[in-house]
Amino acid sequence: MAVDSDRRSSRKRKQTEEDHETQPESKPVQLEMLTDEEDANEISSDDGEADEFPEIDANSDSEADDGGNSSEDEEEDVADEDEDNEDTEETEDDSDDLDSDSSLHVFPKAKTVISDITGHPKRVYPDIEPDYDSDSSTEDTPNRVGDIPMHWYDDLPHIGYDINGRKVLRPARGDELDKFLATVEDPDSWISAFDKNLQTDKPLTDEELDIIKRLYQNENPDANYDPYEPMVEWFTGKGKEEVMPLSAAPEPKRRWIPSKWEKQKVMKIVRAIRQGKILPNKPKSTKKIDFYAIWSDQPSTLQQPPPPAPKPRLPTNSESYNPPEEYLPTEEERKEWEDKDPEDRERDYLPQKYSSLRLVPAYDNFIKQRFNRQLDLYLAPRIQRVKLNIDPNSLIPKLPSPNTLKPFPNYKSLTFTHTTGRARCVSVSPDGFWVASGDEGGVISLWEVNVGREVKRWTFNGKVSAIDWCPRTDATYFVVGVGEDLHFLVPPNLPEPTFSLTKSLLAPPTLPPAPTVPSPVKWESASSASWSVDTPILSVHLPPSSGSPSQITWHRRGDYVASVSTGGAQNGVWMHQISRRHSQAPFKKVKGLVQAVLFHPTKPHFFVATQQYIRLYNLAEQQLLKTLSPGIRWISSMDVHPSGDHLIVGGYDRKLCWFDLELSDKPYKSLRYHTRAIRSVHFHPTYPLFASSSDDGSIQIFHARVYNDLLTDPLIVPLKILRGHKVSEGLGVLQIRWCNKQPWLLSGGADGNVAVWYS
Amino acid sequence: MADSSESVHSMQQPVIFTTQTQYPLPTQKFMIPTNWRRYHLSQLVNKALSLATSIPFDFIVRGEILKSSLGEWCLENGVGEEETLEIEYIESVLPPQKMTDFPHEDWVSGVLCNLQGYLLTSSYDGHIRAFDYSKNVAASSHVHNAPVTSLSLVPSPNPEDSKYTVATSSQDLTAAISSLELSSDDTGTKTAILATLHLHTAPVSSVTSNSSGTHLLTSSWDGLIGLWSTTIPSTDEVPEPEGSGNRERKKRRKVGDESKPRRKAPINVLKSHTNRVSKVIFGQEPGANTAYSCGFDSTVRVWDTDIGVSTHTIAAAEKPFLSLAVSSDGRHGLATATDRTMSLYDLRSNDSAITSASTFLHPATPSCVSLSESGNQVATGAYDGVVRVWDLRSTKGAMASVKAWDGEKKVLDVDWKRGIIGVAGEGGVEVWKVGEAVN
Repeated sequence: MAVDSDRRSSRKRKQTEEDHETQPESKPVQLEMLTDEEDANEISSDDGEADEFPEIDANSDSEADDGGNSSEDEEEDVADEDEDNEDTEETEDDSDDLDSDSSLHVFPKAKTVISDITGHPKRVYPDIEPDYDSDSSTEDTPNRVGDIPMHWYDDLPHIGYDINGRKVLRPARGDELDKFLATVEDPDSWISAFDKNLQTDKPLTDEELDIIKRLYQNENPDANYDPYEPMVEWFTGKGKEEVMPLSAAPEPKRRWIPSKWEKQKVMKIVRAIRQGKILPNKPKSTKKIDFYAIWSDQPSTLQQPPPPAPKPRLPTNSESYNPPEEYLPTEEERKEWEDKDPEDRERDYLPQKYSSLRLVPAYDNFIKQRFNRQLDLYLAPRIQRVKLNIDPNSLIPKLPSPNTLKPFPNYKSLTFTHTTGRARCVSVSPDGFWVASGDEGGVISLWEVNVGREVKRWTFNGKVSAIDWCPRTDATYFVVGVGEDLHFLVPPNLPEPTFSLTKSLLAPPTLPPAPTVPSPVKWESASSASWSVDTPILSVHLPPSSGSPSQITWHRRGDYVASVSTGGAQNGVWMHQISRRHSQAPFKKVKGLVQAVLFHPTKPHFFVATQQYIRLYNLAEQQLLKTLSPGIRWISSMDVHPSGDHLIVGGYDRKLCWFDLELSDKPYKSLRYHTRAIRSVHFHPTYPLFASSSDDGSIQIFHARVYNDLLTDPLIVPLKILRGHKVSEGLGVLQIRWCNKQPWLLSGGADGNVAVWYS
Repeated sequence: MADSSESVHSMQQPVIFTTQTQYPLPTQKFMIPTNWRRYHLSQLVNKALSLATSIPFDFIVRGEILKSSLGEWCLENGVGEEETLEIEYIESVLPPQKMTDFPHEDWVSGVLCNLQGYLLTSSYDGHIRAFDYSKNVAASSHVHNAPVTSLSLVPSPNPEDSKYTVATSSQDLTAAISSLELSSDDTGTKTAILATLHLHTAPVSSVTSNSSGTHLLTSSWDGLIGLWSTTIPSTDEVPEPEGSGNRERKKRRKVGDESKPRRKAPINVLKSHTNRVSKVIFGQEPGANTAYSCGFDSTVRVWDTDIGVSTHTIAAAEKPFLSLAVSSDGRHGLATATDRTMSLYDLRSNDSAITSASTFLHPATPSCVSLSESGNQVATGAYDGVVRVWDLRSTKGAMASVKAWDGEKKVLDVDWKRGIIGVAGEGGVEVWKVGEAVN
């Protein structure tokens, strides 16, 4: 571009030279303006030349020959004329120059002429005049100060020097008002810009405006630039292929030596794969649904494989080819065998004898036999029996060893013998030192637990059926049931305060007022003068034909005592209150025969055991709380745990049931250890023990640990079977009682012995 | 059998003898034929010592008295013939021989063999009796109208000819001090109740006197131990019970007609037992103020009677003790319990961890125990009617056992003094002679 402008400017200089020659110096400004304008024209003239260039190229090869002569001549003429016009017009009027696009052609125009030598048309460019003015760079501006800050000339009347060293005077510039007037009056003022070098406003040329306009529109500032010009196929097409290498140089070494850099890169990846940082074959997230035939294979897990076929019976001696003589059938047997139907025959062959294996014929029944066996296997259902392979020891519950649960009674220390009959009942004093035992001969013996020496003996008429010590510690006496009476007896050798309190309790000097409701039970105290230890201090006569009291049980406070009479006409549950000397029947009518009663140790509850059920009553509210069904056919005895939450029940059908009263109406455990009827069960008051006695003459001791938290089940461990009582007339151990403060047991047996079992 | 003994005969066992008797052998290794028995070994020791009179010895091998031949013992215990056995020999206790028996109508709860020529018994019919050796009742006194549970002789400071003081305990909640006059001539014996001791509210289980005879101890079922002086006060220290106590007093008045017994109060009461105290005894040393007691609360306690506190307690596990005997130096205590054991306790050591040195197992409840005067042997009576003599060094089996009354009658008390064992119980009293060491 700079070259073009130089070239063009050289032509312009020629003109300016001419102008200089023709015009006086007084109009330098116009000259300057002209040259500038020409510059702009030359720039815009690029358009036309650029447009033409491809045409020339395209025609150069193909259209060079045909039909170019006439037109080229014409063009030559036109161009000549144009040149002339140009020169004239340029001199005449600037504005015309600006308007005509053709005038913008500043490049020397090529002329196509017929070469004289070849006779072909050729392009001829005008000669460049190689004179002094041809270098247009110096004639551009009259001010030759160069590119300096122009404010250096601010204070001077001139703005620089021309090529001849003459001052270029500052052009006159109007004030602000002139500028304004110029904008109003001069229509070109809005397209003029300040020329720094000449220090005056200069209107922009059309090319410059065009460039500005393109820049505003973000287009290429070159007006001749065509972004969509067609591609020139330089190397495609027939005959244009490059068959020879561009360079004959041998291939460089790097083309066939493996790249070290690439190797390092690959090794880095390989190392990462080895270390697992990169998964080479990552499982594809998109799961491919694989289709399969549903019915092709059978469900093998549900259907068990068929059981193996049973093995055929092994051949016996009679099936031998050479059986011993005794296996051979006789004539009759053979005949009989042949006469029978094949189904009725015992065996489906007859033993036959051959002297050697060689003589044995082919077995004619082979196919039939095979077929029958196959038929059997097919038709006979076969079941594989699953054999349970359980270690029997693993089924035994893990119980602690009895040795760790000591103490418990394990041997008989001494026996006390009743000579007059079965020792039906036995009771231990609350301090655990004395035993009162009664037999069926009417003898009640008081003896020491520790030595077994009888200290006192009372004799009554009739069987002694029940004994129970009063649980009070400040008064000492016990109740015996003899016949249809209850007798209160006082042991000898009591300390004075206890004795007097006992006496005042049982035979008070002033009787309490008689109850308003007359009771059929008579209370009779011995008078204090005539009474001695040998006789009962108080007797309670139950109504006649009520039967003998089979059980007497005390309330823990020692004021109430309950008695159960069996064998009488009516069910005789009586509750006797000592302090009021009054007896009452708590139940008007009870379903079934009452076997035993019990006071709850802590609550005002009352257990009543009939033959098959146990009912729990609340005495304070007079209502039935619950009914327990132990599943025993005939209840013989029961006892309540000292905590009051557990109950054991023994039955005549050998069963012993443990009830957790908080848990259920059904037994928590049913134990069946005895071989005969259970006669008596008892909880130890302090130790975690209970015992049961039976008609088989044995006593079984159990460890019964009851936990305070409701989650843990009671632990029941069988500890010891105590044997030593003889069974007489089918009766074994009739009653057992624990010693209060020691783990000792007392048992009264039908053989008349009362045994003391020590730990 | 003969063959085996022949084969055994060739073997010999290396043995070292030790002893604590006054017949020591020189410490050297003997090669003893393994078929030798106690008799051979005893002869060997006798010959080796060349004693004038032959003394029978018993041999203890590893805490067990040798009863079979040496070879059989080794076979049983798996001792090889190259191991050196250490055998301790003791003077043999000859098999006890029954001297006499004194039948009683009722059970006898206590017997004393202290007196020369006499035997004192206490019975469940409330009597105390004195027998001479010709089975004659020298004296009989109805002291209590309830069973007498034990008796003790109170040594008098100036021993008169034939007047003794006897303390008895009874189930009528009292103990009594009685005087007993035993005269050799037939003029008659005089017994009188001097004082009754009132403290306990439960039957008194035992009474004992110290060696100087100045103090008594009573133990009771109520867990208390009373300390009493033996002086007889001139007036009652405890007032008569009012009203209903007449009955008992009347009967007692019948017994002691002339002079009413004085009612004594205790000097001190020893309280620590939480259950029945079954036995209390004084220490044997003269002037000592220690007492020993055992009870059903499974403890053996040592008391200082001067200040009345328990100085040492041995607490066993679930062993209600029935009886107690303490060696004369107060070092060891032997207590029988209802779990059929007799335990040897070291009463001096304060370390409760090593209390029970050894345990002697019985087949029945051992109700009573008595140490011999030498202190190495002990006799126990059990409820199966057998009195067993043990050596304290041999826990595995009794040295000798005596079946009293030929049956299953309970032995309630034994007393081993002066070479005789008095056995009291259900069937009366028997006296057996036990050949202890001839000192």
